[in-house]
Amino acid sequence: MDLSYRKRLFILLLSICLLAGGGLLFKKLLVPKSFGVYGPYRADAIAEAALVPVRHGTNNSCFKCHPYEAKIHKKGLHQTISCESCHGTYADHVAEGKKIGTLPVKKEKEITTLCLKCHNTEIKARSEEVIKTVAMPNHLKDQKVKLTHNCNQCHHVHAPLKYIIRAKQITGLMEAGS
Amino acid sequence: MKRRSFIKKVLNGTIAGSLYLVWPMGGEGIQIPEQIPGIMGKEYDILNQEFAFIVDVTRCIGCGSCCVADKREYNVPDGNYRTWVERYVKGFSDKIYVDSPNGGLDGYQHPRKDIDEKIRDTFFVPKLCNMCKEAPCVQVCPVGATFKSPDGFILVDEKRCVGCAYCLQACPYSARFLHPDKKVAQKCTWCYQRVRKGLLPACVQVCPTKARKFGSMKDETSEVYKILKGPGVLTVLKKEMGTFPALYYKGARREVI
Repeated sequence: MDLSYRKRLFILLLSICLLAGGGLLFKKLLVPKSFGVYGPYRADAIAEAALVPVRHGTNNSCFKCHPYEAKIHKKGLHQTISCESCHGTYADHVAEGKKIGTLPVKKEKEITTLCLKCHNTEIKARSEEVIKTVAMPNHLKDQKVKLTHNCNQCHHVHAPLKYIIRAKQITGLMEAGS
Repeated sequence: MKRRSFIKKVLNGTIAGSLYLVWPMGGEGIQIPEQIPGIMGKEYDILNQEFAFIVDVTRCIGCGSCCVADKREYNVPDGNYRTWVERYVKGFSDKIYVDSPNGGLDGYQHPRKDIDEKIRDTFFVPKLCNMCKEAPCVQVCPVGATFKSPDGFILVDEKRCVGCAYCLQACPYSARFLHPDKKVAQKCTWCYQRVRKGLLPACVQVCPTKARKFGSMKDETSEVYKILKGPGVLTVLKKEMGTFPALYYKGARREVI
């Protein structure tokens, strides 16, 4: 093939243009949208991470429909405990303002197990300043009750000293209001 | 003022006012008052945010509420943990025993029976993503799926992740796992979606003893700002790695790694 200098130059320039164009096109097709806005990653992923559904509410979201429990819970020593820790997640119970499921309520021996999750004195890592712990079954013996008793037979689960204080007031062991 | 326009204005005011009090969350219909001031109902300035997480080891009672909340918030598959609680036991021979049965999900019901020597010290250490300022996991990701967002969160782009698990090896804190079904790397995000809505991370919210604290460093009235500014001793895990975590520990002994 005998080509003139001009034609050779033209073919060279055309191929360079095609290669560069193809490269740019591939880059545009392969690099995801919003890549590199803040850094070498897809900036849209931040917005997507913010869209993950929120499943836990707060105690206030529960108190809105459960005023009776709210009144007791807010006054008791257990006020810092989240409702959802024991009962389950808000999103399993309410969706779009409507009840969609029943959350479990712990019963009998389950309650004792739940209490001892935090209040077992055998676990020495618990600071006395943070939590009051008991040894089982010594606590039942000391309080002179049956060894088969569950914690909630003396302690209200939402306000553990509610009945204890009331009982002491009635029996005169404690001045009313103190 | 005409009666019609007056009623209109009053109605508008009431609606606007109630919007400030509660913020509807997505399509979920959960309405919660804000927990991190200055985020809810405002334009989120992503370039001007800084958050810190403080774990107070002296207050942790190992109840496992945080682990349970975390599992429920994200439906974390069994055997994987975005956050977990470790039990440290130090004997008089200075030997360290660490265990974390089921990541602390069931709480700590029984003491360890396999230790023969006398115990000198024992404590719980909650673990989660350290949100390093120089994150090794971000550095190793070959596809740019793990990144540090401008507001300081290390996040995983699940659409980009190819599940090569380099980041799992790179993380000095073992905070990552490979989702068994999705085959993508997952980790604690400090509940990014909650923070963006002005809510506390789920684990912080359920902690009954306030052992976990979270807040904005741009807000000078926040608890974490005051603690970090104050004289108390705070440590980070594996400082020698040069990762500069945004997760600080209060009262953590030297043995904690």
